[in-house]
Amino acid sequence: MKILLNGEPYETVARFVSELIAEQAPAVRVAAVVNDRVVPAAEQATTALAEGDRVELLTFAGGG
Amino acid sequence: MNAVSSSPRGDMPRELDPRPWLELPPPDARAVAAALTTEEPDEAAFVTLVRAEPTRWLEAMAQRAQALTRRQFGRTIQLYAPLYLSNYCSGGCAYCGFAADRDQVRHRLEPDEIERELTALKRLGFEQVLLLTGERTPHAGFDYLLAGVRMAARLFHEVTVEAFPMTVDEYRALAEAGCTGVTIYQETYDPDAYERFHRWGPKRDYAARLDAPSRALSGGVASVGLGALLGLADPLADALALFRHVRVLQQRFWRAAFSVSFPRLRPEAGGFQAPHPVGDRWLAQLIFAFRICLPETTLVLSTREAPAFRDGLAGVGINRMSAGSRTTVGGYDGRAEDTGQFAVSDGRDVTAFCTMLRAHGLDPVFKNWDSAYRSVLSPPSALRAEGGI
Amino acid sequence: MNQEDDALVLGDHAYTSRLLLGTGKFASADVMARAVAASGVQIVTVALRRFDRDRPDDALLTPLLAMEGVTLMPNTSGARNAEEAIQAARIARELCGSRLVKVEIHPNPRHLMPDPIETYEAARVLAADGWLVMPYIPPDPVLAKRLEEVGCASVMPLGAAIGSGQGLASAELLKIIVREACIPVIVDAGLRAPSQAAAALEMGCDAVLVNTAVADAGDPPAMAAAFAQAVAAGRSARRAGLMPVGQEAQASSPLTTFLQGGERV
Repeated sequence: MKILLNGEPYETVARFVSELIAEQAPAVRVAAVVNDRVVPAAEQATTALAEGDRVELLTFAGGG
Repeated sequence: MNAVSSSPRGDMPRELDPRPWLELPPPDARAVAAALTTEEPDEAAFVTLVRAEPTRWLEAMAQRAQALTRRQFGRTIQLYAPLYLSNYCSGGCAYCGFAADRDQVRHRLEPDEIERELTALKRLGFEQVLLLTGERTPHAGFDYLLAGVRMAARLFHEVTVEAFPMTVDEYRALAEAGCTGVTIYQETYDPDAYERFHRWGPKRDYAARLDAPSRALSGGVASVGLGALLGLADPLADALALFRHVRVLQQRFWRAAFSVSFPRLRPEAGGFQAPHPVGDRWLAQLIFAFRICLPETTLVLSTREAPAFRDGLAGVGINRMSAGSRTTVGGYDGRAEDTGQFAVSDGRDVTAFCTMLRAHGLDPVFKNWDSAYRSVLSPPSALRAEGGI
Repeated sequence: MNQEDDALVLGDHAYTSRLLLGTGKFASADVMARAVAASGVQIVTVALRRFDRDRPDDALLTPLLAMEGVTLMPNTSGARNAEEAIQAARIARELCGSRLVKVEIHPNPRHLMPDPIETYEAARVLAADGWLVMPYIPPDPVLAKRLEEVGCASVMPLGAAIGSGQGLASAELLKIIVREACIPVIVDAGLRAPSQAAAALEMGCDAVLVNTAVADAGDPPAMAAAFAQAVAAGRSARRAGLMPVGQEAQASSPLTTFLQGGERV
């Protein structure tokens, strides 16, 4: 399935947001936004991905 | 911060209660010097200055008060005139010449008489008028007052009201009719003294009166005037509670303008003996302390005070004064029958008063604001729509 | 005076430290973590960024989460308008569960000045939604009161431009904000030296937030500790009451001779 991940085309076998996170960032705490909707942490395992979804994975960085 | 919490003393909100400050030892020279020059005046500075030893500090306080008055207001004195619409009163204030049990000719101005009084004041040059009534009666209730405001607003740029406590909706209606300010003195902040001197009538309700300035501002009135009738109770305690009252309201209603007046009881007023008489020097010191600690707030002195006292304080703390006042109903048109609410001590007419101000290097200002802005810039309904007040 | 009874209160939380530290621009996560530890701060700001596959570890967050008593305050930097800031706050909540959010909207990348209109709108929406909103603002006393009215937990006016190190360039406006405010005032941005942080507390500000001044210092952990000491000293000085400025000269013509006659009561 082709999605847009953090602004770039990406091919994935992940069916759910949680699977995409496990594939991408197993050791990092990330938040997911699918098609501009913030996916609550508790819903990552049940939120299905679809062809063409725009997915953003975000984490904390240093900032003031 | 804005919640009014009750103290053990019944009706006095804790945020106004002066007692913690009254128990402090008299201020030392270091504390007075600090309060005199502070850039951040607070209630500690205020109480320090009110209690400072006058022979040593009064002159320095006057100098500072004059400098701060000039910085904020320039060399100007705003002039206003009181207009008594009615002396009917349901109140039982033990100290007042208009109290319901006083032997007094009762009268209210009818529309044509109001028009004549307003015209007479206008001819004297006034643009700011203060409309007064007693406590609410069937003769002079809200509708009567509202009609008076409407008439005055057609002729005067600023119309303020000193009457009875009202509801937010009533204040809103006044504001929409052109009322720019409401003056309401708590008389005394001491709940026990308040109860003793307000013997009957709606004015016995301490809390309803205390909260009236908030209601006026919530209703869209642009400015409120506060004060205590000095002499009814411990004047230091009343002064500090008044100071705290102003500060609390200024933080909450930060868009509003405020003024403070300094009425004091005279022993001779209606035969009532002031239990805590206040002398000239103490009152002057109080006014200096208010100016130093509220540098941007208008301070008012009326014709209750004698010429020499008024002349000395004009521009030295005080920046707004009445002149040529009549405290009788119908007094400006020369047709009054009553003996007035209180005795006027400064009987000079407007011309003589302005001559004195100019001789002191002060400019009498009759008009401070143009009513043309009323509908253009700050319709009360627009203020409300912001939801801010 | 006892520090315990002099807490910085934000919403329903009380903090004994009046220094807040940003976590950006440090040479490494390790240096940042040592600076946080050395300063004893209880609130640190963090920013959001896209996950980077080339840096798959959680170098920043891991040491912070391991520290006792450190609360994360996500900021919304990168947001150019209210809508983006609100979205950033919601994303941050999923990451750390914090109700604290620093609303920071600076549309112009050259001077990084906060946009007061977008900041107000974002703060209004987030405060109504239950957040403890900490808006980063220009030193504007009216804006500060407007933000207080919509329920912000504090206001964070800038001392000077972010990263400029110019200190309390806005001092006179900050004094007005402090005098009028009923919520904590936290100076955010522009500080370079601990003495400037002490001065902010002396003038009545409730706390300061620094980042570049620590991250760019020769020894960041030592500088963080110095800021913590300066903030504590400034607060103590404020509570102790400063000495008066020099006496004004007495004018030559007296103003109170009219009071020297017989006392009129």
